[in-house]
Amino acid sequence: MLHRWVTFAARVMAGLGGLVLLALILMICVSVAGRGLADLAFSGALGGLGDWLSTAGVGPILGDFELVEAGVAFAIFAFLPLTQLSGAHARVDVFTTGMGPRTNRWLAGFWSVVMAAIILLITWRLYAGLQDKLRYGETTFLIQFPLWGAYAASFAAAVVASITAVYCAVMHLAGRPVDE
Amino acid sequence: MSDLALGYLSFPVLLLLIFLRAPIGLAMLICGIVGLWLATGSTNIFMARLKSEVYSTFSNYSLSIIPMFLLMGQFATYSGMSRALFRAAEAWLGHRKGGVAMAAVGACAGFGAICGSSLATAATMSKVALPELRKYGYSGGFATATLAAGGTLGILIPPSVILVIYAILTEQNIAKLFAAAFIPGLIAALGYMITIAIYVRLYPDQAGVKERLPYAERAKALGAVWPVILVFALVVGGIYNGWFTPTEGAAIGAAGTGLIALFGGSLNWGVFKDSLFETATATGMIFFIVLGAAFYNGFLALTQVPQELSAWVTEQGFSPWFIMALILLLYLVLGCLMDSLSMILLTVPIFWPVISALDFGMTTEEVAIWFGILVLIVVEVGLITPPVGMNLFIINSMDRETPMTATYRAVMFFVGADVVRVFLLLTVPAITLVFV
Repeated sequence: MLHRWVTFAARVMAGLGGLVLLALILMICVSVAGRGLADLAFSGALGGLGDWLSTAGVGPILGDFELVEAGVAFAIFAFLPLTQLSGAHARVDVFTTGMGPRTNRWLAGFWSVVMAAIILLITWRLYAGLQDKLRYGETTFLIQFPLWGAYAASFAAAVVASITAVYCAVMHLAGRPVDE
Repeated sequence: MSDLALGYLSFPVLLLLIFLRAPIGLAMLICGIVGLWLATGSTNIFMARLKSEVYSTFSNYSLSIIPMFLLMGQFATYSGMSRALFRAAEAWLGHRKGGVAMAAVGACAGFGAICGSSLATAATMSKVALPELRKYGYSGGFATATLAAGGTLGILIPPSVILVIYAILTEQNIAKLFAAAFIPGLIAALGYMITIAIYVRLYPDQAGVKERLPYAERAKALGAVWPVILVFALVVGGIYNGWFTPTEGAAIGAAGTGLIALFGGSLNWGVFKDSLFETATATGMIFFIVLGAAFYNGFLALTQVPQELSAWVTEQGFSPWFIMALILLLYLVLGCLMDSLSMILLTVPIFWPVISALDFGMTTEEVAIWFGILVLIVVEVGLITPPVGMNLFIINSMDRETPMTATYRAVMFFVGADVVRVFLLLTVPAITLVFV
């Protein structure tokens, strides 16, 4: 039951992160197309159509750079739970394959506990960062987007990552590892 | 203990953690955090850094190119282009001695132009090419070795995720690195084809023959790959000509391959979901290592290890070429143990200051690009070096009948081709720097 819930949460977060990534990709395509058209219109190559485009306000999306930064941070935090749950973190196996299954199980359990501790630490510090941004009301340069909003979204994803990491660690300690 | 001693001591500790099967990103993060703690004598520095640096690493605009290229590679896998590329290459090369294997290499090179990952290229092309190779009487060992080697072209021919990381670590222009990788990538494909030609003459029983196709059919097969050429020209050409930033190029590439997969391939809801999940786990894995490396390198910079090491090496008065060869040899050995990306993130911040302080008679930028391409090739050799090369396992597992030892035997010829190529690029830097 618990396993179903954690898996579901991790997949939902990965899906959300993926959708944000797709949205950023589309936005960039629109922005690049707008910039290209605006350049063409400005150079006069399009004649009357160009003038019409210029007055219609065709151009790059304002603050696309800032939206990419905020969006991609959320996406990556949102990808962490699934990465953890599917045991996708890169490791070197060569030296431990000869050590026998018991030692390896013990090592895997140990590292999953350390991983959970580090993810919790990161989440806690991200919360501290969020409070800073809230206190000082920092915004992005061009579109005045409040940075605490971006931090809050990332923090929400980090909380799911923490839950997943703790769950994986507990299951290791209980002798029923789920992340392999 | 002095900071410098602490910095040097952190290497063996880090390696020990990694060899004890710690996730590589986690090991680097722990060494970075504990190192900062010991070096500054308080928790303040690393606690403050964790507050802002995790977010700023994940929200880095230049790094956002990575999930986009990964998604592009996922879409490419389902675009049906692997089949079209193989058909086209087979139509032109298939009738030669060892021609179907040469076609597999050519198709890998073509697929590498829309996919920046070595394992994905090897695995995707194998699905198409392996049955065909077996059908025309190619031995299992030869066929799997060809595809494992061909897969390494995925990372050499731009776009390449590892080159992006290298560019950011050494503060070089991504567009120039992509341009520099192009000719070595073509030489690699050519080198593998020559290797195949030699192999089938030495062991004629390992490969069969295929009939020659008329030119009308060849032209038709070649015409089917136009979407790949279009996307590659738009993405790499656009980045190189400065029409858009590398991140924008990656977004356009992901959208383009997505469209190809939607209209010409097998992209449906289930596949789409899988693509997102695959991109998610690969991105999460990479950024966790990037995060660990950021903290570990922050600690190393504080201890001055890179500067001191670089100064020490320069003082010894060795020939720059000797140092270069030594470092490449070290990469070759490490490449057999560790995945390429972790290795680059772990070693480039230490080795690059050493290399950049040496005099090769080139500008710093030229040396950075040349060194980057050489390192990229050498770490990829690790992917096909027995007994632990990742590509070998992936491809061999796709062909049940072939024992691992048969793959090992045949792949040594391709490793040989790699060594010859590294030597060529090392002694003639101009090949790499032609487009820079």
